[in-house]
Amino acid sequence: MENQNTKIVVNDLKVVLGRKTILENINFDVKDGEFLSILGPSGCGKTTILRVLIGLLNPTGGTVIKDGVDITKAAPSKRGMGIVFQNYALFENMTVLKNVEYALRLDKNRKAQSREIAMEMLKAVGLEAHAKKKPSRLSGGQQQRVAIARTLALNPDVILFDEPMSALDVDTRMILRDELKALQKRFGTTMIYITHDQEEAFAMSDRIMVMDNGVIHQIDTPENIIKNPANDYVRRFVVHNLQLKIDSLSRFSTVCVKGDESAQ
Amino acid sequence: MIRDKSNYLKILLSVFFIVCVILPLIQVLANIDAASWQELLQQPKFSESIRNSLTASTLSTLVSVSLALLLSFCLARSNIRLKNMFKIVLTLPMLIPSISHGWGLKMLLGNNGILTKWLGLTEGIYGLTGIVMGSVMYSFPIAFLMLSDVLSYEDASPYEAASVLGINKFRQFTGITLPYLSKSLISVVFSVFTMVVTDYGVPTAIGGTYTTLPVSLLKEFELNSQSGKLSIYGAILLLPAVAAFVIDLLKKEQSRSGFVNKAIKPRKGVVRDLLCYAVCIVMCVVVLFPIVAFAMLSVMQNYPYDLSFTTDHIIKTIDQGGDVFLINSLIVSALVSVIGTAIAYLCAYCTARTTGLFSRALHLMSITSMAIPGLVLGLSYTIFFSGSALYGTLAILVFVNTIHFFASPYLMIYNSFNIINKSLEDVGATLNISRPRILRDVLIPQTRGTLVEMLSYFFVNSMMTISAVSFLANIDTRQIALMINTFEANSLMGCAAFVSLIILVVNLIVKTTFYILKKALKKNKPVKTAA
Ligand SMILES: Nc1ncnc2c1ncn2[C@@H]1O[C@H](COP(=O)(O)OP(=O)(O)OP(=O)(O)O)[C@@H](O)[C@H]1O
Ligand SMILES: [Mg+2]
Repeated sequence: MENQNTKIVVNDLKVVLGRKTILENINFDVKDGEFLSILGPSGCGKTTILRVLIGLLNPTGGTVIKDGVDITKAAPSKRGMGIVFQNYALFENMTVLKNVEYALRLDKNRKAQSREIAMEMLKAVGLEAHAKKKPSRLSGGQQQRVAIARTLALNPDVILFDEPMSALDVDTRMILRDELKALQKRFGTTMIYITHDQEEAFAMSDRIMVMDNGVIHQIDTPENIIKNPANDYVRRFVVHNLQLKIDSLSRFSTVCVKGDESAQ
Repeated sequence: MIRDKSNYLKILLSVFFIVCVILPLIQVLANIDAASWQELLQQPKFSESIRNSLTASTLSTLVSVSLALLLSFCLARSNIRLKNMFKIVLTLPMLIPSISHGWGLKMLLGNNGILTKWLGLTEGIYGLTGIVMGSVMYSFPIAFLMLSDVLSYEDASPYEAASVLGINKFRQFTGITLPYLSKSLISVVFSVFTMVVTDYGVPTAIGGTYTTLPVSLLKEFELNSQSGKLSIYGAILLLPAVAAFVIDLLKKEQSRSGFVNKAIKPRKGVVRDLLCYAVCIVMCVVVLFPIVAFAMLSVMQNYPYDLSFTTDHIIKTIDQGGDVFLINSLIVSALVSVIGTAIAYLCAYCTARTTGLFSRALHLMSITSMAIPGLVLGLSYTIFFSGSALYGTLAILVFVNTIHFFASPYLMIYNSFNIINKSLEDVGATLNISRPRILRDVLIPQTRGTLVEMLSYFFVNSMMTISAVSFLANIDTRQIALMINTFEANSLMGCAAFVSLIILVVNLIVKTTFYILKKALKKNKPVKTAA
């Protein structure tokens, strides 16, 4: 990972809304093609970071550099980034295909191939058979795939995810996890991913950022976070939590293994 | 939020509200002086009309809301057929001016009334009884609609749980239904009370010597249109609506997810259904009676002495300018419908689809009109705009009606916008789809049904309003509904009945057209994909 190019650098980010300081001293970078998860309790400022990265929110201070260019003040659509929300935010009055195609048709350079690109993206997320349906007729997981296809269609090199799977059931999440990783591999996209599910973060990420109350406690690989938590907070929040899960999992799996053995 | 051009729109809309609502209102209140107070307090008539207004409105509200509860329950909690037809008939009175209800009642139960004779009564029902009956006639449908709506959203699960636990019907009603209804009931009670207490149509028609506040205000206006006493009356009439407004603000918005968790399915019950039929049919007859009477009186020579057919009243109505006034009304209503809907739509777009202090302030301004009775609004416009170029034009009537009926359609579309995903504009920004485009291609297609309802609401209400426009219309801009006043003053029963009938028919046609339009829009939602 060390020899990868740096995609995004965030310097001294500060966000104050009203009289409240939401983020302070935020410094981190993201490597090209990396999968970075952001973990932290509710209200700690995760969404705010994403909104600043994509330009939906002007930071009070600090800079965002992408590919060596300062994009702190650039319009959201000029950053080569896409975002996927928890609630899909699809255009309910349009078909699945039209949802993916809409932005392409407004882009002079891509208007001609808009249909073609949209179909290709739907294929990539396995929804080509549903192209003519309205989003409301699809399951939650399928709707989120439409949102992902819509984002991919504009060919961003960075995609931000704000708890994209929180509204989905466990099985769908497991499947979508793999699909997302496969898409990342195929398109070489850098992904920044907010989640409440620590196991998800540990399973998917190259690195994990642990936040609390507007500050970053640690950014590191999953192994390092478990082996060398930066402070008590990280130990309590992540390691302890995960340990419990691993404990219960291993107990569960021994039961299963025993069961399997006895069956044989 | 960055580079938000909607701020210009917000500024424009704020200016509109400041000029059309806030400044006129301030001017009315500023007109109050100590001398007028002194003078009023010394008049025994003043305190009497306050007492009368309170008594009549309280009674009317009680009766109206009780009847509405009964009827909405009959429809929501039984398996009777023809529910839609009952609903349509029961809400028909909403399409005629309140004064027609008073007037109709007088024809039925006045000294020479049709029913007075039939029933062998010696005296008509002028005064308190008449006012209460007339007020109930036109306020009942609104209470009924509001309650039916609330009941149709109720969730079945608590009842199922209660039944499993063996809790009896009565306890279910007091323990589940009443708490569920209580919040809405407060709103309904306040709406009905405000409507009745500020209405002068019914009391002028059938009040007799029982003078209420709005009637006193009007008498005062005829004596001296600049009197400070007018403002005092106006301020008093403002009170109940302001109270309702504040309560509505304090009340946390009931989060209604837009769909029923589990719709209530009434169990089988033959006796109950028969009773419900009886109640509905009786009420429909009561509601239809005055309407049928209008139709008959329009073409009868001289009720109750000569019942032969005639077109005299129709010709007379036209002679007196009825055709011109009808066209005036149609023009104003059409303009109010389009302009009102456009302003309310843009306003709700700003308040529901953008965040920040400015948008909340605009929301408050938008619903302020709810707290201003038509009578007070009309009064404030005469004071504020007199002498301006606007005064005496159709334009001022368009403005006053737009403001008068603004709150309901505004809230309709505000709620529709609020159910639509809040992140659409954010997603649009990242995909290089501008806000106006999202509005045009996503929001408008998804709110077309509401748009049609708004158009219809504005039209129908300006077609029949009297209160606000009675101060502002002159001989060139007269509205057809105002003719009822004149005919009444000249005891031209047939003509008054005919005008009421015309308004009803126009409104029925408009409502039906919009209803069909809405259905059609629902059917062919745009499924088209770009070629
Ligand atoms: N417009 C705003 N004005 C003031 N404070 C805000 C605003 N938006 C968010 N906040 C506050 O900023 C803090 C961080 O919000 P943010 O949405 O980034 O949290 P989050 O980590 O994404 O939480 P969650 O896990 O619940 O989504 C919260 O305390 C929130 O109350
Ligand atoms: Mg968040």
